[in-house]
Order: sequence, then C-alpha cells, then structure tokens
Amino acid sequence: MTRSEARVAASFRDPGGFLFWRDGDLFRQVNRVSEADYRMLMDSGLYARLVKMNLLIPHKEVKAEPAVPDLAALVIKPVRVGFISYPYEWCFSQLKDAALATLAIQKEALALGMSLKDASAYNIQFHQGRPVLIDTLSFEQYQEGQPWVAYRQFCQHFLAPLALMAKRDIRLGQLLRIYIDGVPLDLASALLPGGTRWNLPLFTHIHVHARAQLKYADRGGEAKAASSARFGKPALLGLVDSLESAVRALDWKPAGTEWADYYDSTNYTRAAFDEKRRIIDGWLERTQPKTAWDLGANNGVFSRLASGRGIQTVAFDIDPAAVEQNYRECRSKIESNLLPLVMDLTNPSPGLGWNHQERASLRKRGPADMVMALALVHHLAISNNVPLPQLADFFSRLGKGLIVEFVPKGDSQVERLLASREDIFPNYTETGFEEAFSTVYEIIEKKQIEGSNRTLYLMQSRS
Amino acid sequence: MDWNIILLLPLLNGFAYLDPGSGSMLLQVLLALFLGAGFTIKLYWKKLKAFFSKNKGEPVAPEAQPEEPVEGGETHDQE
Repeated sequence: MTRSEARVAASFRDPGGFLFWRDGDLFRQVNRVSEADYRMLMDSGLYARLVKMNLLIPHKEVKAEPAVPDLAALVIKPVRVGFISYPYEWCFSQLKDAALATLAIQKEALALGMSLKDASAYNIQFHQGRPVLIDTLSFEQYQEGQPWVAYRQFCQHFLAPLALMAKRDIRLGQLLRIYIDGVPLDLASALLPGGTRWNLPLFTHIHVHARAQLKYADRGGEAKAASSARFGKPALLGLVDSLESAVRALDWKPAGTEWADYYDSTNYTRAAFDEKRRIIDGWLERTQPKTAWDLGANNGVFSRLASGRGIQTVAFDIDPAAVEQNYRECRSKIESNLLPLVMDLTNPSPGLGWNHQERASLRKRGPADMVMALALVHHLAISNNVPLPQLADFFSRLGKGLIVEFVPKGDSQVERLLASREDIFPNYTETGFEEAFSTVYEIIEKKQIEGSNRTLYLMQSRS
Repeated sequence: MDWNIILLLPLLNGFAYLDPGSGSMLLQVLLALFLGAGFTIKLYWKKLKAFFSKNKGEPVAPEAQPEEPVEGGETHDQE
C-alpha cells in the first residue's frame, strides 16, 4: 500500500506536537515534551468539561504510527472541522465570539490548574456554528506567580482588531490579513480615536501595553517596578476578567453599508423571488451536493436553501454588514451547517504566512460540490471588468457544480452599474454568457425566472 | 545586569514556545495589584448583592447562573 503523508503547513511553531495528514485522515502527534500537559488536560477533567461546553474540538487517542516516532508520545485523531476559516474572513461578531470563547476556555483551565500557552485567533474555528479551540496542545500546567504568556497574543489577535473595527472603521479587520500574528499594538494605539484613552480597559490593554512594549523591547529602559513583584492567581483572574469586560463592551451594528438592506430594495417581485427559490431548491434536491459555496451570498437567504438541507454551506459576501446579519441569524437560530464569511471575490484570500502555506488560499480550501453565484455575475463582469470566459474559469476552479444567475443589460441593477461609465461590454448578453460558460461547463438546465428578465442555469464542470 | 532582566527572570522559567514579549510580561506585573484587587472587590460585591437580594425574599437565581448570556459558550462561576 502506498501511503500519502504530509505535515500540515501551519503546524510548526509549537514543539509540543503537530498535525499531519495520512491517507486522507487528519492526526495530531503529541510529542514527549508536552505529554505531561496533555495528560493533565485529560486527567483533570478539563478536556471533558470543555468538550461538553462545545469549546474544544473532541479527539480520540489512536494506535496510528507517529509521523516522527523519535519525538512522539502518542497520536490523537481530532474531529474534522468542515471548513477552515481565518480571522480576516470573519465578521465583527465572529471575531468577538472567538475572543470570548478563548477567555472562557482560559477561565475553565485556570479553575483546574492549567493555562492557555497561546491565544491565537487561528486556533479557533467555527465548528457546527460555534467557535471552538482546535489546538488540543494549547494547554500547560499553570505555574503560580507567572503572568499570562499569551497576553500579548490575545491583545494582538483579538482585542486590537475588535477595538479598531468597533471604534474606528469596520474595514480595519482586514489588518489581520497583513499582520499574521495580529495587529501590532503600537499601530492599533495610533489608529484608535483619542477618546479610547478614557476607556480604562482599552487604555490599559492597548495604549499602555503598546508603550510598555516599545519601552521594554530591548529590556534596556528604566524599570519602575519592584523586582520582588509576583503575579498571583487573583491578578491573573483579574486580567482575564478585565479582558473579557473590554471585549464585551465592544460592539458594532451593521448600518448604512452597501447592501445591508439589499433584499428590501431589490427589484424582484415577491412572486419572482419565490420562483427563484423554488428553482434553486429543486436543483439542490436533484444534485444532492454535500458542500456548497454561495458566492455573493448577501445575508444568506439562498444559502439557507442549501444549509437547510444539511449541506455544509459557506456563505461569502464582500459586505461586512451582510455577513454580520447572516452570522447573527445563524447564532440565534443555532444553524450548524452555515458559515458566513467576508470575502472580496475580486481579491479572494491568498495563501499567506510562512512559505505561502500557513493559511490556505480560498481556492485551496475547495473545491465545493456546488457553487452558487446568484445576482453576482454582473458585479464581477461589469464592475470589475472580468471577461466572461475568465469568470467561468474562476467558478469552475472553486467547485464542480454551478447554479448561476445571469442578469442582462436592461435590468435596473445592471443599468445602475453602467450609469456612471461607458458600456465596454458588447459580449455581455445571454448568448455571450452561454458561449463563454459552455467552454468549461455543460449546461444541464436553464430557466427563466418568471416575472423578471433574469435567467438561472444549472451547470456541471466538464473537467 | 540590567534589573529589567532580573525582574523578568522568574517569569520566564516556564516552557513557552511563544515570545511573550518582555513589555507585555512587565505590564502585567505592574498591573498585578490593580487587577487582583479589582477582581477581589468585584467578587465580594457580587456576593454582597446576592446576599441582599436573598434577604429581600425575591426568587433567587442559583449561584452558578451566568450574569449575562454568552455567545458561543456558557460562563462558569469562578467559585
């Protein structure tokens, strides 16, 4: 039997262990250096408690051969997360919930004599609709008198971007895409409004923290503390409590961004809207995909046709307000099959981090069984000038099946896009669209949406 | 030897694969008193409130009830 084995590219920092793939299964090797901490996690009852609270990914200890036997203590097999997403793809409330989950985990750990040794936002994933810690090796025995080693990381990965999004501009969440280890605190301090200095937790954990980092970076500055100071457990609990208050106090409400009220102002009649739903639902029934990516999903009205059928669905949209609305609905209805994410399709998430491999590009996380592109083509073809053949190529690389809507010239939404510019799109017609897409797709079915001038297509990739 | 380093030495004994940042560690030490005192006062304040609400004869919430709903997980009383 030939074996395929590969270490997960993002799993290299912690010498305590690493993730690896073998024959399509995901395993985590626990190295001997972290065996004692792992045993404590399991034996203290912390693991059981966190799993019960849906805060930690469950795993099984397995007899699989370690990938690096010289270092190994044992191998575990974690439950797989459906779709790996990254903090720069999350809306405000997703990042906030991930931050609160991290702090809730730290409180549970401290209650049972352990502590988180890192607080990376990348260690949190949305699993069945809820933020869970996926790194089983993030725990170490708590050592009395020690400050929190992950304090800096928590502030950079969570508090700083949340504060910037809430207090300055929601789009600053995208700084996480540039700074792989979180937003530098001196940058956050410089960008935040001056008024945040009157907010005690933000003043302390961002502004003063940034100053402390600059001042003591080379350890050569003047110290002002007594050297006998110790950081007792009440102080650590106070720190976590203070961070939690800081995060809870931050809020952002979607209002006034591009498409937040799109479905209320769309030019669909009620009947045409229902007809569109009925056609898409029928095609999903017919094709039975296991995974679906809804591109340009807005607040997820059509994504829910897929997720409602038990299809693992990711709903991408460029508008943080639409994604925020979508996520809040997912959360309140406890929808476990739908993951809303912020994504600019004209500049989708690239491969990032060390060797371009630490964080996978959007395309690398596919392909999905079904791609849905509803009321999207005109935005990419006209607003972003993407030629139709290239659009077909892009979609076909993301998924095998395609449900796509063509919105022709003459439609008020297209006219709106053309109002301020010259029409340089002679091929943007139904025929041009079908010709371009036929090169990479087989058109299975085509349906005119009654009561509108729009057409829906069901297609299957030829490759 | 710089006494910043003396101050940090007892803090860096553990096995930490992350660079915790000397400024971030020192800041915590500097804030220790406030954080610890603040947390303790908050804890007693809650107990005091719970005590008086019990005395009023109102229906009492169980001790372990979270103070506010949490998204993505339950809170756990520290006591």
